[in-house]
Amino acid sequence: MGPLIGPLGWGIFLTLFVFFVFLGFYGSRWRRGDLSQLSEWALAGRRLGTFLVWFLVGADLYTAYTFVAVPSGVFAKGALYFFAVPYVATVFALATAVMPALWRWSRLRGYVTAADFVQDRFNSKLLAGFIAATGIVAEFPYIALQIVGMQAVLTIMLLGLVKNVKLVSDLALTIAFIILAAFTYTSGLRGATLTAVFKDALIFLGVIAILVAAPLTVPGGFASAFKAAAANALATGVYTLKEPLLPAYITLWVGSSLALYLYPHAVNGALSAESDRKLAISTSLLPIYGIALALLALFGILVYGSSTATKILSLFPPSSRGILVVPALTVASLPEWLAAIALLGVFIGGLVPAAIMAMAQANLLVRNIIKPIYPSITPQGETRIAKWASVVFKFVALGFVFIVPATYAIWLQLLGGIIITQTLPAVFLGLVTDKLDKYSLMVGWAVGLGLGIYLFIAAAFSPLYPIAGHLVYIAVLALAVNLAIVLIGSAITGLMRGRITIAVKR
Amino acid sequence: MYMSELALWRRITAGILLLVPWVFYMVYPAYNMAKPELGGVPFFYWFQTLWLVIAAVLSLIGVLLLYPSKR
Repeated sequence: MGPLIGPLGWGIFLTLFVFFVFLGFYGSRWRRGDLSQLSEWALAGRRLGTFLVWFLVGADLYTAYTFVAVPSGVFAKGALYFFAVPYVATVFALATAVMPALWRWSRLRGYVTAADFVQDRFNSKLLAGFIAATGIVAEFPYIALQIVGMQAVLTIMLLGLVKNVKLVSDLALTIAFIILAAFTYTSGLRGATLTAVFKDALIFLGVIAILVAAPLTVPGGFASAFKAAAANALATGVYTLKEPLLPAYITLWVGSSLALYLYPHAVNGALSAESDRKLAISTSLLPIYGIALALLALFGILVYGSSTATKILSLFPPSSRGILVVPALTVASLPEWLAAIALLGVFIGGLVPAAIMAMAQANLLVRNIIKPIYPSITPQGETRIAKWASVVFKFVALGFVFIVPATYAIWLQLLGGIIITQTLPAVFLGLVTDKLDKYSLMVGWAVGLGLGIYLFIAAAFSPLYPIAGHLVYIAVLALAVNLAIVLIGSAITGLMRGRITIAVKR
Repeated sequence: MYMSELALWRRITAGILLLVPWVFYMVYPAYNMAKPELGGVPFFYWFQTLWLVIAAVLSLIGVLLLYPSKR
């Protein structure tokens, strides 16, 4: 088989990439601010309106998770992985209720991270440090997943062009990351926001183009693709979800929904809004973004109907076919120039979120771990360390992908969800009440985390654990135990404190 | 904060609107079936996708109740 993408396609891909890099650097001049201030660098000066927050937070959600993990899951396992749709339909309803409250606290008290809020609310630097560390760790597999998505694009583009696809794509990825690190260092969130708008324009164009073109290349359209998929007897069902998997389906969307806005990058995006009202409006409209996610999920089925795409996939071992579904379907159903545009969209669709995530990790490290240890640090010093930390974190994640096989990277993203969900009581319940006891929060966090990781290992590195014969997402189980400890612990200490004050009065 | 000054009916209505998608997706018999199909896509897939739009509209109404433009 000859190359799938020829000189024309490569020319378009690289030209658009150069424009992308230009936007990234240009960001530092856009709505100029003092970039040695952390809130200017990391939150774009808290000046993003409804439209830009929609794109920025959309870019957080609409990542390689959408292009790679979800279609890959539907392709390999079937209906179960459609849980991503109820997940995005519900997560924004939750965020519409919760995030503007966090925004108001943050504007009032100058918070940059969720851990800042926890520290102030519960008067505990230690608890804030735990929350921050959890955020940093949980973010790594998420960044790794972005890189896996970029790898998938490069694999399809380099196929038939070079002998050692793996070596060349690793080299190309490293170059892309050096450029990315350079522009996030200089422009911060401004660069990420501008590139997010560009990225989404390409993605929407790509998704719409495939939807129009695919029925032409897939004879019989969806109906025959579903028939072909059913012939493959996907494990969790094709036309509907198999009944025994309903608890898995529901806990997966509930757990993912509870987790998303605890991730540092989502908090970062929300806090960069100009006002609570603008944040609320843009958040409420984010499910619309999910329509493209639902369509991409269906590409996992559609690919079975495309003989060209199936032929491309058959060149790879079964375990790595899933991640190639969307790039393969793109080159199979679109003319070369349009395929190149769509592929660049998927490529920078991993790059932009990776930048935002590493930036959010860096904020946490500086604000909630380094600063409490070295309180004398200047605001300029704070920003300098954050900029460098974001560079380091990106390359740690890149190294992680080079070592761990791609299939595991997707599993680990669900482990990230198990980990980050354990910060829910301190952050979300903290917004509602100040009656929670900080030591109970720490114990609940530690037990939830320990139990979650233990069950993940006990289930042979799967995010699903069987309870009474039904698979359940571990994040929800661990959170339930965590919440029980926090609520009971706080109730007991609350009663004891009540008694002590009464005793003192007497 | 100012939320507590907002009329109670606005807060309750908005809360219900934001809860609707959560309740809908919990009630899985409402969507776990193959027919009727839409353009060859089984009900399970297209109906859940349609609810993305419904969820967005409900949330937007909820937000407009919570954040009246003149205050």
